[in-house]
Amino acid sequence: MVDQNSNYALQTSEVYVHYGKKMAINNVALNFPKNEVTSLIGPSGCGKSTFLRCLNRMNDVIDICNVKGKFLLNGNVDIYSPDIQVETLREKVGMVFQKPNPFPKTIYDNVAYGPKIHGIASSQNELDEIVKDSLHRAGLYEEVKDRMDDIATGLSGGQQQRLCIARAIAIRPEIILMDEPCSALDPIATAKIEDLINELKENYTIIIVTHSMSQASRVSSKTAFFHLGNLVEYGETGKIFTKPDKEQTNDYITGRFG
Amino acid sequence: MVKKRALSLKFKKNENLSSLPDYYGYYVVLLVFFPAIIIWFFLLIFKSNFQEMFVMSPVLFPDVATWSSGKFGLIMNKISNLSMIVNLSEIDLTVGDKSILKMASESEIIAAKNLANFDKIYGWSNLTLFIILPVLLGFLATKSISGKLNAQPIVEKIISYVIKGSSYIAIFITFGIFFSLVFEAINFFRYVNFMDFFFNTAWNPNRAFVINASEGFDQEALKEAFGFVPLLTGTLLIASVAMLVAVPLGLLTAIYLAEYASSKVRDIAKPIIEILAGIPTVVYGFFAALSLAPFIKDVGEGVGLPVSAESALAAGLAMGVMIIPFVSSLSDDVIKAVPQSLREGSYAIGATKSETIKKVILPAALAGIMGSFLLAISRAIGETMIVVMAASLRANLTFNPLEPATTITTQIVTSLIGDVEFDNPKTLVAFALGLTLFVMTLILNIAAITIVKKYREKYE
Repeated sequence: MVDQNSNYALQTSEVYVHYGKKMAINNVALNFPKNEVTSLIGPSGCGKSTFLRCLNRMNDVIDICNVKGKFLLNGNVDIYSPDIQVETLREKVGMVFQKPNPFPKTIYDNVAYGPKIHGIASSQNELDEIVKDSLHRAGLYEEVKDRMDDIATGLSGGQQQRLCIARAIAIRPEIILMDEPCSALDPIATAKIEDLINELKENYTIIIVTHSMSQASRVSSKTAFFHLGNLVEYGETGKIFTKPDKEQTNDYITGRFG
Repeated sequence: MVKKRALSLKFKKNENLSSLPDYYGYYVVLLVFFPAIIIWFFLLIFKSNFQEMFVMSPVLFPDVATWSSGKFGLIMNKISNLSMIVNLSEIDLTVGDKSILKMASESEIIAAKNLANFDKIYGWSNLTLFIILPVLLGFLATKSISGKLNAQPIVEKIISYVIKGSSYIAIFITFGIFFSLVFEAINFFRYVNFMDFFFNTAWNPNRAFVINASEGFDQEALKEAFGFVPLLTGTLLIASVAMLVAVPLGLLTAIYLAEYASSKVRDIAKPIIEILAGIPTVVYGFFAALSLAPFIKDVGEGVGLPVSAESALAAGLAMGVMIIPFVSSLSDDVIKAVPQSLREGSYAIGATKSETIKKVILPAALAGIMGSFLLAISRAIGETMIVVMAASLRANLTFNPLEPATTITTQIVTSLIGDVEFDNPKTLVAFALGLTLFVMTLILNIAAITIVKKYREKYE
């Protein structure tokens, strides 16, 4: 399944994840095309978030979590190879979490955090430019340009989440992972984030876990359906939602379980 | 029992209870004990007043109104001693061929008999109070229980008064301590000029004993006896040494425990570190005086530094070890309380563990960490025993930790050891020092609260 096709930002195969003795992901293979949005859907506990967290090795933090499988970035970089430093991987694969988690710092410092750590900016001017640009892309700049030195936790939930997206794109990743980015937000803030995802896919490969099937159909071009740790079906979003191959998928998207 | 009665009312007689059944029980219990306790409390407080009223009647002692309080107390004492023996038989009271009663005047003996009677009545009335009143009230209360009686608000009200009263007791005691300090300190400043106390740089309280035959205390000697400055510098010096030890060690320990140690290590290590705070300060004192101070002296002399046998450094180091757990335990808790989502957010951007700790976790936990520092400082400033044992009692205006120094608390101890006379500035100075210390820790606490508040506003 893994080939050297460079149209894929990320290729995975034979992925197994165990929490202690409990199996969370069972032999999953998925490829993510460049500059497209892929949705991972499925009922709670199906392993979609676990799978997402494998892609930037966030599961390394959890002691009992054991990940096996092949993960290739840009067709040639094995992200679990001992030669790869997890920090450099995460520079390329950013992540946005379910609950907005801005640092208790100023808005400016939140966005500048990543570029400072990775030494991306060579001067203060360049750093200012990166911060401004990232906030622009996250659609937040107009709202916060006059209060860059305010503490970020004072923003509204939707603004905080867009700040987290700005923070993630400030280090210029290739892939952005989003773990239910709208589940803590109201419909208006959700609509803003979805618009943002549509704009961002021009430059980034986006993998989004979502509970909302309408969201998946609105934002993504590819959809993968997980159930009980297995990848049940993967394909064009339109096809998955109109005439899926598997009966299980059909049952889920028509609301018969999950 | 009462609950049963109330329930039986409900079910057998079909009455509607206006309160929850338990409350009828509480109602009776409170009525049984509460009035008795209050009356007993007042009797206890005013017992001596009653006694005096009863005994020192103008009928027996016509000129009682003109007595000084000293004389009044003396006679009262004599009578109360007499009252214990006055009803014994003649023979028991005869020592040699003299009756003890002969030593007292006629009216004093009558007063003593009165007092003995009073004590008897007082004892009996107490007994009745504690048996009859509760039984009576209990009976009445049980009788009064019916569906109409709304016991709930009454019980809730009494309970709220009890709770209110308990918290006011603490507040009153605080004010009591504060004002007793203030009044005695005012007494002290009658002898010693305010400015002399706070700005003189020499501390020799024994000079206050130089007494001029004509005018009591020698004013010149008093002027030079109580200079507060060396005590302040000593206190700050030793506390600084202690903080220099405790802040880095405590903070690094906290970071290790919260972020790096496995939960097994943490479960064992944390209580062990907390034991440090539980070791009696006397033990730290002799550890500092007998092991640490000689060691510092040896090392110092090895490199050619003059080190005295009792140094501020030794006391400060021991004190620093003692307050490590104040910093580490509290900081560990606040670091642990920083949400996991912030750590993940930082890792997801590609920050390493140490970058995350330095740039995200410590700033987020700063308020709590500052709080732990201030708590440790107040503990260090208030510490006495280690300094008494390890850093000398001699006031010394210095910022050199290798020299001996003394602290405010230590001087309070020395001024109250031995002859305590409340008309002597040498004793009274303890209150002035105590007040100063009180104000210092108060300012520290206010600073701590302000800092914590400021950061909380920022982060929430």
